[in-house]
Amino acid sequence: MEHLFIEFFQNTGFYLCDYRHVVMIIVGSIFIYLGIVKHYEPLLLVPIGFGMLVGNIPVFEGLGLGIYEDNSVLHYLYYGVTLGIYPPLIFLGIGAMTDFSTLLARPVLMLLGAAAQAGVFITFLGALALGFAPNEAASIGIIGGADGPTAIFLSAKLAPTLIGPIAVAAYSYMALVPVIQPPIMNLLTTKKERLIRMEEPRIVSKREKILFPIIAFLLCCFLAPAALPLLGMLCFGNLLKEAVVTERLAVAARNAIIDSVTILLGLTVGASTQGNVFLTPQSVGIFALGAFSFCVATACGLLFAKLMNLFLKTKINPLIGAAGVSAVPDSARVVQMVGQKEDPTNFLLMHAMAPNISGVIGSALAAGVLWSFMS
Amino acid sequence: MYGLQAISASNGWAIAVVGITIVFTGLVLLSFFINQLHKILDIWDNRSDLTAWKENLFRRKVPGPAIISLTGEQKESARQFHMLVKKLDDAFPLPRLLKIAQVSGISLPHSNLAALIGTGIIKRGELGMFTWDEELYRKML
Repeated sequence: MEHLFIEFFQNTGFYLCDYRHVVMIIVGSIFIYLGIVKHYEPLLLVPIGFGMLVGNIPVFEGLGLGIYEDNSVLHYLYYGVTLGIYPPLIFLGIGAMTDFSTLLARPVLMLLGAAAQAGVFITFLGALALGFAPNEAASIGIIGGADGPTAIFLSAKLAPTLIGPIAVAAYSYMALVPVIQPPIMNLLTTKKERLIRMEEPRIVSKREKILFPIIAFLLCCFLAPAALPLLGMLCFGNLLKEAVVTERLAVAARNAIIDSVTILLGLTVGASTQGNVFLTPQSVGIFALGAFSFCVATACGLLFAKLMNLFLKTKINPLIGAAGVSAVPDSARVVQMVGQKEDPTNFLLMHAMAPNISGVIGSALAAGVLWSFMS
Repeated sequence: MYGLQAISASNGWAIAVVGITIVFTGLVLLSFFINQLHKILDIWDNRSDLTAWKENLFRRKVPGPAIISLTGEQKESARQFHMLVKKLDDAFPLPRLLKIAQVSGISLPHSNLAALIGTGIIKRGELGMFTWDEELYRKML
């Protein structure tokens, strides 16, 4: 009987646990705390945080419990990540809940979304310089797109072993947008610039809204066919929304589908951060480069907005350039927050949504381009 | 391999430049098309105006009948030609009329005949023959 007790104890988490499990459980708890208490992207951080707890319960190999064991339930759910199934489904939902009106009203703001993607390619160079392989560098660079699904999709295709750190880095920085972006915005703009009021956008017709996803899809995917899975689903979701006659499908896409997939994605990505896999010097490098990428992307958007002001008759508030990093809609909210600190009657949210949405398209394009270069 | 050497070895500079160029091009093109979209839709909505405009344009290109007034000498010459035409069939060959005019001593027969054709008093008919528009002749003289 004593022997049975000892055997049982040796199979418990208390016995199998090492410091890496403890560290990751603490990180997971912090994620849950940030999500629930601080309201930083709760829909993402809570599933990922809990997934970290799930993934870092020490289990003995062979029982089919861990996410990296072939016969485990978590492993099957993780297929959605490794095969790149979840990200396009999330894009479907994003498309079905996004209103492109502000973008259609002033398409020139789309350039801000493009400018912010410079951060992706600059970080790609940085990762190469730090010794990462080109496919890994591309996956790390896309963190600057501030688009979790895109980062996961590209990592699944190019560097599957890095999905965990890249996904966690991407979602962490997305959640930390309100902390990371404001200092850069204040640093790179003057008070006078932050006070600029944007002109009212024109009213966009329903037909324009219906035609936009079709035109955007055809144009972007003819240019970069590798962006097809992400942009295709984004545009399809948006068409379902705007077509009105497919409202039922749009409702399913923006509620049931995206919610289910977010749960599965968050949980499995979190569970993939097992201490022994996650806590490596490489992960530290990815986190550092991810932060750099995010900051550079924000700065590029801001600076490009200032550049545009040199040529535009009607000036734009350069703060909205920071929303080009995509992180929908958090970065647009941050723009509103920073703008209102200077002038509480200045409403920038609606205008910031234009570069914000074009950032989503831009990051999907950038991912497609990088994928086609590396594959 | 680290640093600039690693970037060069992986063709990083080219990938970064071409990559950002493609992303920019894509969004610039999209921005351009979207900017034109509402204008194209406006034209489509008002396509009946466009059709009318095209028809007007086409009509303007068709030359209307030239309004040429005759001088006193030309009117006198027209009267003489009128008398000669009466001796001919309804449809007559122009060289014959010209020859008769020359024989009859009508001054400047080529020039005056051209003026009559210009006013439409002498009209081109079928099979290379010409006819005299009596009504117009009376109206102009």
